[in-house]
Amino acid sequence: MTESELIRAVNEVLTDSFEIAPERLSPQARIFADLGLDSLDVVDLAASLQKKFGVSIRDNDRLHSIQTMQDLTDYMIALRVGK
Amino acid sequence: MPTVLRVAWLNFAFWVLFSIVTAGFIVGGFICACVHALCVRDRRKTLRLVRRTISYYGAATLRCGWPMVRVRYVDHAPGDTPPFVFVANHRTTSDAYVMGCLPCEAVQVVNIWPFRIPFLGRIARLAGYLSVREMPMEDFLRRGAELLSQGVSVITFPEGTRSGSRRMGQFHGSAFRLAIHAGARIAPLAISGNEHIPRRGSLWLHPGKITIDKLPALDAAQYQTLGAYKLKTRVREVIQQQLDRMEEGKA
Repeated sequence: MTESELIRAVNEVLTDSFEIAPERLSPQARIFADLGLDSLDVVDLAASLQKKFGVSIRDNDRLHSIQTMQDLTDYMIALRVGK
Repeated sequence: MPTVLRVAWLNFAFWVLFSIVTAGFIVGGFICACVHALCVRDRRKTLRLVRRTISYYGAATLRCGWPMVRVRYVDHAPGDTPPFVFVANHRTTSDAYVMGCLPCEAVQVVNIWPFRIPFLGRIARLAGYLSVREMPMEDFLRRGAELLSQGVSVITFPEGTRSGSRRMGQFHGSAFRLAIHAGARIAPLAISGNEHIPRRGSLWLHPGKITIDKLPALDAAQYQTLGAYKLKTRVREVIQQQLDRMEEGKA
């Protein structure tokens, strides 16, 4: 999976699970302030990402340091590389 | 009398009356609750009395602002019966007092600081108000569901803090997780006109009219397929649309 495919797949998770319009999912979009997710939504997001990508998301410190969509993409790339 | 002087005088009168009403509420409410608890010996009934007294106190403080501050409560679905999870926008401190307009037994979900207000914080804690940031989510859901099952509504301000303006902040999901957990109805409340009553960080009340619109409640059956995020987004949209109508004078 290339980086652009991964970005598209992450965006699909947010669109399908949270009904967030694709045009709001720019790399600079802030997960909390712009997209309105809270810490519990992030847990739901992690569950959806696990299901979509078949990876285990357990690094809570790293997960909770995610601020923007770019951070989320970088996190998913790192997870897949380390898989 | 020039307008500024008149408003200054009305502010002075408000704060004097507010102090008297608050002192009366604390002393009178405490005595009534103690006498009631000793005579009736029914914790549930005493708590109902305390919660209704808090509502009357809220309503009374709003009347202290008359004629500078006028309040109008509009129920768009008077046939809906409580309990509800009330979801309201939050522009200013007076929102907590404005909730005195709601004609039902209710507790509010509050941030940490209201519990630290001398006397009033203690009374709120005794009445069963929920400090969402000081309790684990499981406890919040359990206690919220318990209250709803007893017929007590839960009032929430999911922005989490005062916006200080007409712009509505993002919603936190706790209230919606509680509604999903308890299968409770969600009653959206749109509060308009109070962003300067008082302005954030100030005690100065600007003259104005506060309108509280209670919108038709959403049944659990209407939202059970949605997760907390989708639900909060829908409810936020409903409130925003109503605020737009109210502020364009169409509601």
